Amino acid sequence: MLEIQGLSAFYGRAQALFDVSLRAEKGEIIAVIGANGAGKSTLFDSVLGLTKTTGAVRLEGQDLTGQGSSEIVRRGVGYAPERFNLFPYMTVRDNLLVGAYTARGDIETNLEMVHALFPRLAERAGQETSTQSGGERQMVSLGRALMGSPRLLLVDEPTIGLAPKVCDEIAVVLRRLRDEFGLTVVIAEQNANFALSLASRVYVLESGRITAEGTAESLAKDEALAAAYFGH
Amino acid sequence: MLQILIQGLLLSGLYALIAMGFTLIFSVGRVLNLAYGAYLLIGGYAYFYFSQQLGLPKIAGVMLAGVLGCVLGLLKYQLLVKRVQGVHSAVEIATLILAVVLQSAVVLIFGDSSKILLPIVPGVERVASAAIPYSNLVATIISWAILIGLYFFVRLTHTGRAMQAVSMDAKGAAISGIDANRINMITWGISGTLGAIGGVFFASYTQLYPGMWVAPLIIAVAVVIVGGIGSIIGTLVVAHIVGFMEIIVSSWNPELRGVFTMLLIILVLVLRPRGLFGREEIH
Repeated sequence: MLEIQGLSAFYGRAQALFDVSLRAEKGEIIAVIGANGAGKSTLFDSVLGLTKTTGAVRLEGQDLTGQGSSEIVRRGVGYAPERFNLFPYMTVRDNLLVGAYTARGDIETNLEMVHALFPRLAERAGQETSTQSGGERQMVSLGRALMGSPRLLLVDEPTIGLAPKVCDEIAVVLRRLRDEFGLTVVIAEQNANFALSLASRVYVLESGRITAEGTAESLAKDEALAAAYFGH
Repeated sequence: MLQILIQGLLLSGLYALIAMGFTLIFSVGRVLNLAYGAYLLIGGYAYFYFSQQLGLPKIAGVMLAGVLGCVLGLLKYQLLVKRVQGVHSAVEIATLILAVVLQSAVVLIFGDSSKILLPIVPGVERVASAAIPYSNLVATIISWAILIGLYFFVRLTHTGRAMQAVSMDAKGAAISGIDANRINMITWGISGTLGAIGGVFFASYTQLYPGMWVAPLIIAVAVVIVGGIGSIIGTLVVAHIVGFMEIIVSSWNPELRGVFTMLLIILVLVLRPRGLFGREEIH
């Protein structure tokens, strides 16, 4: 469904990703784990065409490299970035409507789906996002990405700074998106336990390189990795 | 008293229209468009050329001025702003030079003597002791209609929301599938149109001459600084403060007309650097 091959990314002359390859099948949740600065956000930005890259990114066989981000979103990539990048002085509802910019025919259905997944967003529809809590912003961010009718959803650090209860809520939603809506989900996480609880397969990203990959079970058994990322 | 009220309202509506085109560009494109005055200049002369020299209907003259302003805005974005984007001082200096070049072009084509524009709608209405030219009344009504339309356009349409989105978070807009380039084009086009139509009205309010763009540019900067960049409501309110202040001051001593506007700018810059309604995003 998503296939990344030999992707390198650059900020000016500085190289941030080195020959990264990964894939995700339709209806699968995979995770990219790594420390701060390992390149997880760069990887997602690169899929959206926001960095200079070499290598290939394919979505359902179609090459996305060289396309502008608006075209990539139109082809079915939704992105909930780490810092949310919401529109602070717009209401929750307007933030969601901006997310529907490329999928205007689906507004009713998508809005219904987002409100069903996050009932709080329906209650807070008229509130400006600048006045919301981190958890609510994460919901708006995910909701905005879903308003674009994505088939692939990229979620960067879904649990960062959130209370455990909210993390559980987010996890439930991500599973529902996979199981009920057939979405492919890629999450980037520092919180490896959260990642392993959701993902069927995991990639470890270190200093811009993939250093390990495997099923969640096999990686959990790797002692060196466990020491580095799982805190035991 | 009634005279001051009416004249204040008429002038303020016009100032609001002029300032709005300026604030849109700053808010969406983050460009302090010092050549904004050029749209007013081109608008005024285009109206003069089409309506008074070619003898087209006056409403056609206003619309053609608006179209020309729009084209000018698009060209400026495509040929200049887009290419030096990111270097704000370069954009600002380049646009200011462009305004001076356009002023010289106007002098070459039309000469540097000032011209009287015939009223868009002839006639005068007397209310108490006040004489209100229909022209000014029409200008204010059209300005208000445009501003109300713009407000709802920005709030309620996909394109308008996208303009807000780009002004608030460029990355957030990009990952929502918004092509910032396209939104910038639309914004520059709207800004040019507002400026040119504002120029027609401003020239018929005062007079048409090659240096006419400077005073309204200063007004626009003042309204935007005092109102808080990007605020549609703030722009409206402050346009009325500045407009009424000018009318009141000039009823007392016309020489001091602009001085109080400048004092207000300085006062606000010192006390509230972000303006009375301050933030930089359109809302």
